[in-house]
Amino acid sequence: MAEEFPVVSADAEALEAARLLATQRLPGLIVTDERGKPCAILPASQVVKFLVPGYVQDDPSLARVVDETLADRVADKLTGTTVRKLLPERPPELPVVKADDTMLEVAALMARLRSPLVAVVDGDRIVGAIAASRLLELAMQPH
Amino acid sequence: MTVVAVLVFVAAYVLIATEWVHRLLAVLGGAAILLALGVTDAEHAFYSHDTGIDWDVIFLLLGMMIIVGVLRRTGVFEYIAIWAAKRAKGSPLRVMVLLTVITAVASAFLDNVTTVLLVAPVTLLVCERLDVNPVPFLLAEVFASNIGGASTLIGDPPNIIIASRSGLSFNDFLLNMAPIIVIVMVVFILILPRLFKGSFEVDPTRVERVLGLNEREAIEDRGLLLKCAAVLLLVFAGFTTHTITHIEPSVIALLGAGLLVLLSRLEPRDYMPSVEWQTLLFFAGLFVMVGALVKTGVIERLASWAADATGGAALPAAMLILVVSAVLSAVIDNIPYVATMSPLVETMTTQIPDQAQAEALWWALALGADLGGNATAIGASANVVVLGIAMRAGSPISFWEFTRKGLVVTAVTIAVVAPYLWLRYFVLA
Repeated sequence: MAEEFPVVSADAEALEAARLLATQRLPGLIVTDERGKPCAILPASQVVKFLVPGYVQDDPSLARVVDETLADRVADKLTGTTVRKLLPERPPELPVVKADDTMLEVAALMARLRSPLVAVVDGDRIVGAIAASRLLELAMQPH
Repeated sequence: MTVVAVLVFVAAYVLIATEWVHRLLAVLGGAAILLALGVTDAEHAFYSHDTGIDWDVIFLLLGMMIIVGVLRRTGVFEYIAIWAAKRAKGSPLRVMVLLTVITAVASAFLDNVTTVLLVAPVTLLVCERLDVNPVPFLLAEVFASNIGGASTLIGDPPNIIIASRSGLSFNDFLLNMAPIIVIVMVVFILILPRLFKGSFEVDPTRVERVLGLNEREAIEDRGLLLKCAAVLLLVFAGFTTHTITHIEPSVIALLGAGLLVLLSRLEPRDYMPSVEWQTLLFFAGLFVMVGALVKTGVIERLASWAADATGGAALPAAMLILVVSAVLSAVIDNIPYVATMSPLVETMTTQIPDQAQAEALWWALALGADLGGNATAIGASANVVVLGIAMRAGSPISFWEFTRKGLVVTAVTIAVVAPYLWLRYFVLA
């Protein structure tokens, strides 16, 4: 069920991570620490959230009053930022499964953590990842 | 029983002030102990106006919270704030003055925390566009919010408590508090350039970026705005005609909230998040604890000592209440402070034969508690909220940065209101 999946370091440039998400249309990325161990999942939605100014998050009606020139420039926020800065201050539980876990176990973890992606590990080593779309694809196959 | 009431009350106050436990837990725990030990009982705690929960206060707050929950969906505040920023033509000082005036006026009719939550995001947007530090603007607005809230009965929770305890009406607040608050605001605006010296430099090329904002887009549903305006007019008409209709402000607020919910056809999930249940429960627990002090005679004894200390004279009493309220409200939440002081001041007023001078004690309490909240970062709930907003915006405000400015604002505003009290209620009365 697991597939090869791009992995980024927590200290990698945020712009590179966003580019990876955009060009490969990924639901998220696996983030690793300095030892290469998975430390977080960076959902694409979290990057989108980072792009939205805090005042618009507090008051969504302000998104309408800002002209398109500013809206086009929000990606500039990612320049000079690391992936670590994109992650939530208090990272939620890491969505990892073992290679021999069942589809239901993976689905239950995804549903509980609301993560579009889970990392598949063997000990500390990442052996792949399962996206929600891949899980659905397998679930809908005729038995 | 008296000793138990005092001990539980002091312990709860210490817990509230030090934030060792959540303030709701402190007051409900205190109230529970007092009920369990029989210091007070269900009859006194739930059904007595003097020694129990002041339901007028609770339901007035509930009604206004629901009204605000609907009103904030209209986008009218965003519209006004952006419109004003554009009229300022990019001058940071003019932007600050206009936003503080808008905040003060809004605060007179909405609670201070809501006002700050509404105006802060727009402020951050405007400051980002001008490329100026938002901290002075946020500070000026929270000060204005605490000042403006003092002007009406519904502007600040301490005023609601005072009104309910004293029997003073919406119009009494409007006639006695609003004039001095207007003067205080003028003085506050005059000191802004000195208070935030060096904060008004702007690159002229940034001005166009403010003028590019489209305030009309802030209002999505004009129909809802019109319905809100109509209901608010009715509610304020109800408040101001209380002396004729004798309908309590709490009933008017609840009727207004009900009417607005019916007209707006919004779902409860749209407006109920604006109801701060924790705050309402905090009030309930607080009233039970203060009621126990009234029931056991503690408040009466304290009032007697205060009367002896001031020689029974109204002017020293008013000035003492003003200064003590300002100092204590700077370090403890002004809501529990006023809830405690109200029965004490009520007893003190009964010993002053001149009605105008007796009323001056209430105004001194309201002004001291409301304006004293500006002195420190923890003096008022709105201050704490602004600190959080600034932190999330990447422009943190330290406790001392707030307090350095807040102390100046409190000192100046108290210095303005003290002669007002003296002149209006003792010299010219």
